[in-house]
Amino acid sequence: MDYNELFNFWIISISWSIAFIILISIYLYASTKSKREEKSQTKQKPLSLVKDQGIIWFLVGLLVFYIISIKFGSDILFATGNVLVEAMLIIYVWKNRKKAD
Amino acid sequence: MSPEEVCYSLETNEKGLSEQEAQRRLRIYGYNEFESRRFGWGPILFRQFKNPIFVILIACAVVAGLFTTIDQALTIIMMIFLAVIMGFINEYRAEKTVHDLQKRVSIKTVVIRGGKPSEIESKLLVPGDIISFYVGDVVPADMRIIESTDVHANEAALTGEAFPVEKTSESLDLQRPTPQQLTNYLFMGSVVANGRGQGIVVSTGKNSEFGSISRSLVRSHPETPFQKGIRSYGNMLLTLTIALVVGIFSINAVLPNHKLVDSLLFSLAVGVGLVPELMPAIVTICLSQGARTMAESKVIVKRLVSIEDFGNMDVLCTDKTGTLTEGKISLKDYYSLAEDRDPRILPYSLLCSTAIIGEKITGNPMDVAIWEYATGNGAQRSTAPYSKIFEIPFDYERRMMSVIVRKESDLVLITKGAPESVLFRCAYSETLGKSEPIEAAKESIRKKFSDLSMQGYRVLAVAYRNVDLKKTYAIEDESNLTFLGFLIFTDPCKEDAHQAIMKLTEMGVEVKILTGDNELVARKICEEVDIPVRKVIVGAELTQMSAAQIRQEVEETTIFARITPEQKLDIIKALKDNDHTVGFMGDGVNDAPALYEADAGISVDTAVDVSKDAADIVLLEKDLSVLINGIGEGRKIFGNTIKYVLMGTSSNFGNMFSAAAASIFLPFLPMTAIQILFMNILYDMSNMTIPTDKVDEEYTTKPRKWDIGFVRKYTLFFGPFSSIYDFLTFGIMLFIFGCWAGSTATGATSLQLHYAALFQSGWFLESFWTEVLVMFVIRTRRIPFMTSRPGKWLAGLIVAFVAFGTVLPFTPLGGFLGMVPLPTNFWILLVLMVATYLLLVDAGKVFFYKICKF
Repeated sequence: MDYNELFNFWIISISWSIAFIILISIYLYASTKSKREEKSQTKQKPLSLVKDQGIIWFLVGLLVFYIISIKFGSDILFATGNVLVEAMLIIYVWKNRKKAD
Repeated sequence: MSPEEVCYSLETNEKGLSEQEAQRRLRIYGYNEFESRRFGWGPILFRQFKNPIFVILIACAVVAGLFTTIDQALTIIMMIFLAVIMGFINEYRAEKTVHDLQKRVSIKTVVIRGGKPSEIESKLLVPGDIISFYVGDVVPADMRIIESTDVHANEAALTGEAFPVEKTSESLDLQRPTPQQLTNYLFMGSVVANGRGQGIVVSTGKNSEFGSISRSLVRSHPETPFQKGIRSYGNMLLTLTIALVVGIFSINAVLPNHKLVDSLLFSLAVGVGLVPELMPAIVTICLSQGARTMAESKVIVKRLVSIEDFGNMDVLCTDKTGTLTEGKISLKDYYSLAEDRDPRILPYSLLCSTAIIGEKITGNPMDVAIWEYATGNGAQRSTAPYSKIFEIPFDYERRMMSVIVRKESDLVLITKGAPESVLFRCAYSETLGKSEPIEAAKESIRKKFSDLSMQGYRVLAVAYRNVDLKKTYAIEDESNLTFLGFLIFTDPCKEDAHQAIMKLTEMGVEVKILTGDNELVARKICEEVDIPVRKVIVGAELTQMSAAQIRQEVEETTIFARITPEQKLDIIKALKDNDHTVGFMGDGVNDAPALYEADAGISVDTAVDVSKDAADIVLLEKDLSVLINGIGEGRKIFGNTIKYVLMGTSSNFGNMFSAAAASIFLPFLPMTAIQILFMNILYDMSNMTIPTDKVDEEYTTKPRKWDIGFVRKYTLFFGPFSSIYDFLTFGIMLFIFGCWAGSTATGATSLQLHYAALFQSGWFLESFWTEVLVMFVIRTRRIPFMTSRPGKWLAGLIVAFVAFGTVLPFTPLGGFLGMVPLPTNFWILLVLMVATYLLLVDAGKVFFYKICKF
């Protein structure tokens, strides 16, 4: 297996993992939608799907970042990007958790 | 042999053995118990090898020994020993805990020694002891009956005969009798279903003829929701493991550069990695530690597996006596139709009684209350002219008992029992010694009974009739009775019952009252302790209902009054069919079937033997607050067990899945079989303190159930998170640290091997760090460390194992496992990557719990 072939294989593997989470998230979200609507007695707006699935957009962004940094083969880029990702994750968790609590 | 001959042959008499003689015989015959019930390390050690995971590990060792190096085989064997020792130590400690706790609820027997009755532990009985037995007793040793009053014994455990058989003290003239023919014997392990009497102990412990059989034939409990959950979880994992092992081996076997033996070992190791082989040990430790904590709250666990169902019960069925009320029944007064109370009511009630008059008065609480009242005012002296000649015992169909007494030449049948039942059999009532047909007085008697019940008093009626001398009497003789009056009992509500009920409601446990008393008393008690009564059903109504109707009614009904023990069983079955986790609290003779059937059978230390024997949990105090502590503890244990399950199925599954995928596109195995097995052992060891972990308060506020659907969703959602970071590590190792270039370099085999080892070491560390550290995130729904801190033992052990895993590549052991030291940059990236992974899982948790409830 040459470099490009292996790299493509690697992209497929990591993308597949992220795609799997996205599919499962959509499935779980859709399968519990009616229950949630029944509980809150309000119909969810189509826009709330985009908002509620924030984690999915985050994962897609993460995938792009990981592919680019590995493609460049730069540990500095990877480390710097990771620190940024962590900061964003902390904000996401903090904001959403406070709401949930 | 006659009773006298048996006494003679066993060198005893009606006064029983002396204490010294009993001690001497105890030294000769030993304790009255069985080896099978004794606690020993042998069976526990043997059980470790029955675990199917060891079969896979042994298969790995054999394959490694035959086709690779002996070092590999020895390493796997060492791991097997390590796992066996870990499992053994933990299970031994757990079983010892239970064994020690069970000693606290030992069964006792009334024995006559030196002419005095006293209560001793059944295991101290010796041949020649004279013992008294009563309805509800589990027969403690083989004995020859020397005195009996309508004794019936249930010998189902010995003979398979479902119905109780009559037992008498009469001598038999039989050659080589079968056990069924020995109607003057009671065998160890059988249950006194009716009556009472005395017997001489003939043989004890392992010398008893049928004792060992009876112990091995102990009725098995139905599978609890927790056991069902564990089973379905096991099936889910088994399917996954088989699919993955077969898939990995098939693909690897056909790939070039992959040796068949390595592929086989690798696929088996992935299978081992997937199976949470420590599950039984973790569950046992969780349960035994919980049992120890519960014992401090006066809750003794007899059957470990019931703890989690005890915590998760959402319906508690209980009688009101002793739980809602003080359980100290006292006779307040007695009543007859005339203003002057009939002076016969009290002595007749004393005669028609099953109370045992020894150093202290014991037996049925209402009979004890009558005796205590009478001894307080000297009324018991008025029974002196009477002698009891026959007894028709109490049963739940009639709800009354009768005795035939003689006073000079007069014979009187005295009946005492539930007013409805007694009145039904009365033809007359008596006022000031004048007897007249009861019809005229019936209405006023019923009204009085109803008024008393509505005030919360428990009431018994007393009636009598003169009878002729007969050899035997039967329930048919309980007719044309003359009503004498009522006995009025009080049993005040507990002061803390209201708070206890509130707390149970807060905890999501609905209390249903199953009582033999009438509905008016039950309703009054419920009012006093603030149990909202939605509906009341009496036993007679229940009899008319189909199973489907009962299933419907049990949901709405709070009080089931005047019910029989069989109906208790029907109610519990119906609730279980409606998917409730049902607790049943009972202490009566006929509560045993319901205690067996309930998911959590709860009895009390003062209960009859058969109830204690059937119960999963024994309360040292019959108190709802004791129960509440136990429920909270049960929920914590369930919470910790679930943590292990969720962690194992998510992180473990993700790792093994990545290994399977990587093995396809890599020119070498992503991790060697021994590395996978070693990581698995380290991971298991780091989890050993999960049972000591703290459980968030909100987790214990409502009952939870095993929900395999939830576990599946959790696995599918969180498993790939771990895979993302596994693939990311592969990317880093291959494309940043040059493992791809190095491993494919032509000509230099040692360089290729070094880079393969570097890749494997890198992934070993990332995999181990993420697998172990994710526990801090998964263990709580809150923000880890900030709003939910882990237990100190769990945190300490995880940190220690992470440290050990980190230094491993630099040690000779690491070298032996095929690991090499990693460059400094790798460590920086590893820290950043693992931190991102943990934060991402936490973010995933926010999303997941918002849409998936558990």
